[in-house]
Amino acid sequence: MQTPKHITIFHGPQHPGITGNMSVELDLMGETIQKATTHVGYLHRGFEKLIERRTVIQAFTIVCRICVPEPDPNEANFALAVEELAKMEVPVRAQYIRVLVLELSRLAAQFLWMAGQSGSIGLYAVGQWAIADRDLILDLFEELTGARVYHMYIYPGGVRRDLPEGFLQRVSKLMVYLKKRLKLYDDIFINNASFKNRAIGVGIIDASNALKQGFVGQVLRGCGIKADVRKDAPYLIYDKLEFEIPTQQAGDVYARALVRRAEMDQSIHILHQVIEQMPQGDIMLKMPTHRKFKLPKDDTWVKVESARGEFAYYMAGDGSEKIRRMQVRGPSLVHAYTLLEKLLVGAELSDVALIMNSLGICPPEIER
Amino acid sequence: MEESIMNQTIKNKFASADIEIKRTDLSKVIISKERLFKLIAFVGKEYEYKILNAITCCDWIEEEHFALTYIMSTLDRKHTLMIQTMIGRKSATIDTLSLEFPQANIMERDLHEMYGIDFVGHPNLRELSLENWIHTPPLRREFDTLQFVNENLTFREGRDDNVDTKAEAKRLRAIKKAQKKAQDANT
Repeated sequence: MQTPKHITIFHGPQHPGITGNMSVELDLMGETIQKATTHVGYLHRGFEKLIERRTVIQAFTIVCRICVPEPDPNEANFALAVEELAKMEVPVRAQYIRVLVLELSRLAAQFLWMAGQSGSIGLYAVGQWAIADRDLILDLFEELTGARVYHMYIYPGGVRRDLPEGFLQRVSKLMVYLKKRLKLYDDIFINNASFKNRAIGVGIIDASNALKQGFVGQVLRGCGIKADVRKDAPYLIYDKLEFEIPTQQAGDVYARALVRRAEMDQSIHILHQVIEQMPQGDIMLKMPTHRKFKLPKDDTWVKVESARGEFAYYMAGDGSEKIRRMQVRGPSLVHAYTLLEKLLVGAELSDVALIMNSLGICPPEIER
Repeated sequence: MEESIMNQTIKNKFASADIEIKRTDLSKVIISKERLFKLIAFVGKEYEYKILNAITCCDWIEEEHFALTYIMSTLDRKHTLMIQTMIGRKSATIDTLSLEFPQANIMERDLHEMYGIDFVGHPNLRELSLENWIHTPPLRREFDTLQFVNENLTFREGRDDNVDTKAEAKRLRAIKKAQKKAQDANT
């Protein structure tokens, strides 16, 4: 379709507006997109195959690398699946610490989203702020787990280390600080006319079919569907915590931004409760050495709510010390293909980055 | 309670179905390939399992089959059903589900590439992340990653860690021994 009026361009894999190592092939008529085709394959590291060759605990060290912006839901899923297959009951304190880590990770991921989303329309100051504030959370992670990004902390059987002295006070103090900071983000970003003018009415998702098509997370909540694994099928100790599921009705990029912003408040609210309720006790079960740790011949499906929506694992054991099969189902697989390819048709070229960021697409979990 | 009624109905209607309750929010049904789509349509219509979350596959090479699992959730997302069927490894074919569920399109494309399963009626079984792949589909158990790397890839020259560690240790020991010998001869 190469005529003077039509051109085909690749948006990515090297493009500041792309959300990772993937590309979208766009057929353009002037500035308007006629057809969009998603391409992946730039980041295929073969995790699912690698895991077949490793023992359970060796496999644990690589699952966090499946999604870079928020590795903890992967660790949690892996641990939950292994524990379910091996029929282990995790100590309550470990469950609380897991929720603490998962919520901090959600908050960090939302700050990173804020940087990406604002960057996609040229509001770079917000990005600088958000990355700096995310770093404060990463500092806490470093103190707790020894690592800033890949924590390898939510270990099958519990968590790897107990909380350092005074850690909860420091989390609490940071939450008070971030709560104040978030008000500034409202002024500079969420209520900013430059963002509103670009985001309202762009990338609208039809609510009627959204659930059945397998969409998750803010995509659903942005069009009025109260879907959240933490409430629908509670895991860990989420059923003991009070929190809301923010929703919006419009279904556009702005609605999804408002949902994410409200979720940040909810995460802070959850963290305060976790700090208050944190029980004493063991943090880890007595585990066999990794060469003797065997999973029975059985399979399961576990899911957690990541910062971008439902994140699930299928895991099958075969009676040996290796995992027979682990399949990752992140939010991005369906969002980047079924949804993005449809959503981009008729959109403007300049809105591609905006829409992609609002869907929270993370290529590493498409090609695992 | 409602779930046990559902399990009983499935058992009555699909005699070959084997039901296992895994968690309060998760059950698993094993069913033959022929009746799989009827069961998916039945639970969708009667019990609101209308969301297809994923299609997963596991290679049981010893038993000569793939275990395909269709993960279905209710519209309120409170309960999940794993509907599993076995298909032979040699000529792995099964009908597509992409006409009923648009998200199955990409899931089946992924499984086709990784396992070589032919989804009959799928509109677009193109390559996904592997470019010009001519070898065994990589997630089949007979595909050995280590062998593949040794046969098809070359190690980069000039890297310090790119050595056979045993041979290197032997070489270093020999050097040390020779040095010691020379030292002894001098004194």
